Amino acid sequence: MECSEFAMRLDDLLDGGLDALQRKSVQEHLERCPDCRHQHEQALAVLESVRKLSPPAMHPGFIDQALSRATRPAAGGARSKWRPIVGMGLAASLVLGVALGVFLATQPEPVHAVALTIDRPETVRLMFNSAKPLKAATLSLALPENVELVGYSGRRELSWQTDLREGGNLMQLPLVVRGATKDDLVASLSHGGSSKMFRLKIEVAGSSGM
Amino acid sequence: MPPVLPFRRTRSAVSPYRRARPDALNFEDLLRPQVEYLYRLAWRFTGSVADAEDLVQDVLIKLFPRTQELLEIEKLRPWLARVLYNQFVDSVRRQARSPIVELATAAEGDDNPLDTLPTTRDGPEEQAERSGWRERILRALDRLNAEQRAVVTMHDVEGYSLEELETMLETPLGTLKSRLHRARQRLRALLPMEPFSAGERVKG
Repeated sequence: MECSEFAMRLDDLLDGGLDALQRKSVQEHLERCPDCRHQHEQALAVLESVRKLSPPAMHPGFIDQALSRATRPAAGGARSKWRPIVGMGLAASLVLGVALGVFLATQPEPVHAVALTIDRPETVRLMFNSAKPLKAATLSLALPENVELVGYSGRRELSWQTDLREGGNLMQLPLVVRGATKDDLVASLSHGGSSKMFRLKIEVAGSSGM
Repeated sequence: MPPVLPFRRTRSAVSPYRRARPDALNFEDLLRPQVEYLYRLAWRFTGSVADAEDLVQDVLIKLFPRTQELLEIEKLRPWLARVLYNQFVDSVRRQARSPIVELATAAEGDDNPLDTLPTTRDGPEEQAERSGWRERILRALDRLNAEQRAVVTMHDVEGYSLEELETMLETPLGTLKSRLHRARQRLRALLPMEPFSAGERVKG
């Protein structure tokens, strides 16, 4: 057997799909070819590692809420995405990637949605990933009608100067919705003449029935 | 729409009592024991807790109106796996048009700054957890396309044979073999050369 043939048989070898004769031939090749032996060992190690990868736990309460939302369309149909509520110490998560060099002056588009329940404060988390540390970036927030940032009642526009570190930067927005809302929440990040705007659709899940 | 025949029991095999129960009860009985499995699969597809939960939620919402049909499914788990897979592939295609995914896919290039980020999707808890070999494997899996990642998950991890997947996913065997081959090849190329069982030996 040549190395090229071994490469073709590798998947079958890993899957136990070779007959006795083919297996013998492969084994003989592996015994005399260190490169293919190494390749085989690596393939086994990669497979083993992928198999051993265990998922993190689901958020507590996910199964109950997910089933409930599926079976009670009136209460949960509008809220197609499961988001943990603040009472559980968790929050709606939205991860936004921002990297220098990919700041684009594109037309803003709705990119994500969160569902909030009327009069119930919930924390929406936005993760900005920055490829480099950014000094004095300006972060602005425009809130739609009937959406408040907790502690800033009556303010529709807010802005901060902030330093972003390299990697993940988490912004937590404790929001409360007071009634029907149709516009999007707009968050924009600007630095050194470039800016990136994100729109977040706020869905109102209703005042009861959660 | 999943193929029904290989998975279905005869209509008469479902008791009239069961049929007459409210759909919500039947749905809960059928799906509650499967949610954890669906989540595990979804996490392996997406690599993110939030995305996996969203995917499972979307599938459950989609399936509830089909509760009567679910009662007739004999092998529910592979049937559900197929529904989840289709939903995953659909959502990847939809997201491919959003600016956020634009950033993520832009990270394909070797010199893209996003490649250096510890993670692009999980929260701080997950970031902290992702260390050592786990981090390396997750990053490598992130570099596979949706179909490659799904076939690795369903074949190499969940143990479905390619012949089973041919029926489940209604995808030709040759296509599955070639996806699997390319996925494994890419994983081997992306991951360091030392045996991975050495992951646990890093600290010692």
